Parts: sequence; structure tokens; C-alpha cells
Amino acid sequence: MNERTTQPAVAASGIVKQYMNGAFTALHDVALNIQEGEVVAFIGPSGCGKTTMLRLISGLEKPTAGSLETFGDPIVGPGPDRGMIFQAYTSFPWLTTKKNIEYGMKVIGIPKDERERKAQEMLKLVHLDKFADSYPNSLSGGMKQRVAIARTLAQNPCIILMDEPFGALDAQVRWEMQEMMIEVIEREKKTVIVVTHDIEEAIYLADRIVFFTRNPGQVKENIPMEFKKGKRFALKEEMFDQEGYAEMERRLFAMMREEIVATSAA
Amino acid sequence: MTQEVNTSTIITNRDAPAQFIRDADTHAHKERFFELLSPVGGRKAAVLGVIGAILFFAVWEIGHYATPEEGRRFLPSVEQVVGRLFFLFTEKEFIYDVLQSCLRIFGSFFAASAVAIPLGIMLGSFGGFKALINPTVSGLRYLPAASFIPLLLVWFGPSETAKMALLFLGVLFFLIAMVLDNTEAVQREYTEAALTMGASRKRIILEVIVPAAMPAIIDSMRTMIAVGWTYLVIAEIVGAKDGIGAVMMRAGRFLNVDTIMAGIFMIGVLGVLTDIMFRILQRVLFPWNVKKKV
Repeated sequence: MNERTTQPAVAASGIVKQYMNGAFTALHDVALNIQEGEVVAFIGPSGCGKTTMLRLISGLEKPTAGSLETFGDPIVGPGPDRGMIFQAYTSFPWLTTKKNIEYGMKVIGIPKDERERKAQEMLKLVHLDKFADSYPNSLSGGMKQRVAIARTLAQNPCIILMDEPFGALDAQVRWEMQEMMIEVIEREKKTVIVVTHDIEEAIYLADRIVFFTRNPGQVKENIPMEFKKGKRFALKEEMFDQEGYAEMERRLFAMMREEIVATSAA
Repeated sequence: MTQEVNTSTIITNRDAPAQFIRDADTHAHKERFFELLSPVGGRKAAVLGVIGAILFFAVWEIGHYATPEEGRRFLPSVEQVVGRLFFLFTEKEFIYDVLQSCLRIFGSFFAASAVAIPLGIMLGSFGGFKALINPTVSGLRYLPAASFIPLLLVWFGPSETAKMALLFLGVLFFLIAMVLDNTEAVQREYTEAALTMGASRKRIILEVIVPAAMPAIIDSMRTMIAVGWTYLVIAEIVGAKDGIGAVMMRAGRFLNVDTIMAGIFMIGVLGVLTDIMFRILQRVLFPWNVKKKV
């Protein structure tokens, strides 16, 4: 819809992130390009720096060295152009579902009547229209997370960053949320980066998987989900039926195991 | 839907020593008063609470009658103390002293809160500000407020200001520390989420940190106003013509133990009322925070 330059949504090069005055290196020389409209999953063993990379893109943390840009502009701090969804429930407990969704829009100065109209639309999108006036303490974990997703989407960010968004949910709610996310992505045409430790989730959501290796955190491999032939599946079982799915899952498990074995031997 | 489970094979492990099996059985069946992880609420809690209070008054009453005749005036009975309290209200204009005490405590507590809450929230929100201020405030917290009495008397004389200042100081430094903790305990992701939405610092403090911390802050206030009563009595004992503490102090000179105990009783009642008031406030202000019944 809106004309954009051909600049990538995220362009990172030579990214280094150190903690404790250099005593610990979380990321070492990471280069990354993510195109507009792409859905990318970061996976890798615990401590590989995938969450750190996401937080750098969000602007919540600053890289020790390297260049980090979004659509050609350097990232200097957090902003509403990059919406973030956390593993912990961040829907504000003192606001109703509807007020939560409106909050992000209020922050960026959208007028009240437009906020209300858009909130109504978002409530439908995340299937929460019956709970518009409920407070989060009467919602389930999955519903709280949907409030956070709707609040982020309502701001109409260019990029959506998700840090293990469904990690705290039980298995059934988890795949419902994954399928809802595909519905949202297809409708909103957003650039999405999702950090996960769930291989199946990564394959299902992503067009491309970026596999991180640890000590120090680096990109080991970029793995396009070619077996999907450019499609995103509304139902998970449609993906399981695809030729090449099992092979992809097997390959990623093997990569993960290799990482775990390598570090426990070191 | 119901599935038959062969429970006997699960509960009794034939290879386990006999005493373990016995132990497991008591855990499973016997209802015990001292049970771990068994919160009590509702009717049962109310009944137990009343029983506890009755026990307290019973021990007091027994204490009175067990004391030899000539010493009983030093431990008056429950009915004597309650009767005395009634007498103080009807004949001695005790209501005036009670109101005076309430005015002192609520006035100074309000002033202390007005300083401590904004300051505590700022300290909890900004690391640099905390590093600058907090070590000094923590130091002051270790000074007993009562040690300020001579200083306050020199500065303000035996005035109302001196009493209010003692109450103020007694509460202030602890309340700052508690509000600071309450603020830091706000889930980090709320602030981070607001930051990624592009909210300003002012907006985040007023619209995220304050509402998130407020229920805990009200609880801290509830705890600290109890400490306020301690300093109130000290202040009124040191030099006041009126107030509950002054009435008790005067009664002490004439060994009017029933008046002293009536005063203590009155403070207890006021304390419980204040506590209830804060709990109601909590429910009215933060309906979203009321825990769901399980």
C-alpha cells in the first residue's frame, strides 16, 4: 500500500554486544538483512544471543559496536515503528482490554474517535470482541497475550518483534496463537521477527530461519523455508502435509543437537 | 469420561518400608489444623478470628481474677476498662482527645506520604537519582526517630509542630524505602513495552509505573501508619496537654490503670479501623487488582 524505498526493514552489520565491560560477549560480528514483509525466526541454543539481537533491533539495548539500521535510518532507541511483544504478559492490568489496545495509539497521538474505531477492529482481529471491557486478571494467558498483540498492531508498526511470545502458554493455546498469528500476518502484511526455541513454531511461522550459534553469538546459517513454496498455511496440519517439512524439522533438530553437544564438550 | 484407576497400586507401594506407607496415609486422609499450604478464607477465617479475640479477652479476664484482691486494680478486668472508656467519653470529653490524636497522626502521615511517595517513585524509576539520594536516606532510616526529640524540642519547643515533626520523621524514611521497593518491583516488561510503544518518560511514570506500583504503595502506607501510632504516643507522652497519649500519661501519675488501659484499647480500635479503611480503599481504587476467588 504505502510506497517504500528498497531499503531493507532491518540491516545489521558487524554487530557486537558485550556485557560486564567486555567480560562477556553475547554477540560477535553479526550481519543480518531482513526485507520488508518477510517473516523471520531466530532460533538457536539457549544463550546464543537471539533475544539480545531482537532487543538491539527494538532499541531497548544498544550494540557495543556495529551498524544497525531500519529502512535506512540508524536505530537509536525504541520507537513505535518497531512494536514488541514479550514473553511475559505486558497487557496493563489496570486497563480494560479495549483501553489497553487504545493505549499504544494514545501514545502516538491518534485522536480518540479513531482510536475507538481501530480498537474495535483489532478486538475482532484477535478474537477478543466479547472481552472488550474485561480486565486482564479475568483473562487467560493466551488472551492476555492477544491483548498485547492487538495493542502493538493498533500502532501500525512497520516491524513486529516477538520475544518467545507463546513460550508461557500451554501446548494447545500455543498452536491456536500460532495460527492466529499467521492470520494476522497475512492480513496486515507486516515484517515480523520472532525469537523462539520451538523448532516447529519457527518453521510454521517463518519464511526464513536465522540459526544462531553460541559462545560468542553469531549467525550460523540462514535457512529459507523453500519447501513452503512461498505459502503460509492457515492450519498447521497443512504444513505437516508438505513434502520437505519432516526433512526441515529433522535438519534443524540435528543442528540444535550439534550445538548442544559442541558446547557441553568444550 | 470417568476413567477407572486402580488406586491401590498407586498409593501403597509394597516395597516401601511400613512407616513410609503410614506417613503417606496420614497425609492423604487426616484433616489437621496445622496444615502446610492450606490458606483459610471466608466464613472459617472469620470464625477463627473471633475465637482468637475471645481467647485474648478470656486470658485477660482470668489474669484479673487470678490476681490477689489487693493487686487487682493494677490489672483491671475487661468490663472495668470498657466501662472506663465509656465514662471517659461521656464525662471527660475523651472524644476531643481522640480527635486531636487522629488529627495529628493523619495530618503528619499525609505530609510524610506527600513527600515519600513521589520521592520513592522517582528513586525507584531512575538509577542515577537513586545512587545520589538513597545511601543518605538509608542512613537516616537507622536513626531512631525518638533520638530527634531533644533536637525537635530545641527547634520548635513543646509545640504542635514538634509533635508533628516527630511523627513525620518517624514515618518518612521507612516509607521512602518501601515505596522505592514497590516501584522497583514493577514488572520490568511493562516499562519496556511502553518504551517500545514510543511513550515518553513522563508518560511511563504517570501512566505505567504509578498505576502498577500503587496497590503495593497503599499496602506500604497501611503498614507504616501503624508505626505512626507508636510515634504519636511517644510525642504525646513527652509533652502534650491533650490527645490519647497525654490522657494516659496523666492517668499513670495517679495509678489509674483502667484509664491507661482504656487508652491502649482505644488506640487498638482506631488502628483496626484505619487498617479496614485502607483495605476498603484498596478495593475501591484498584478493582482490577482484586484477586479472583479460587
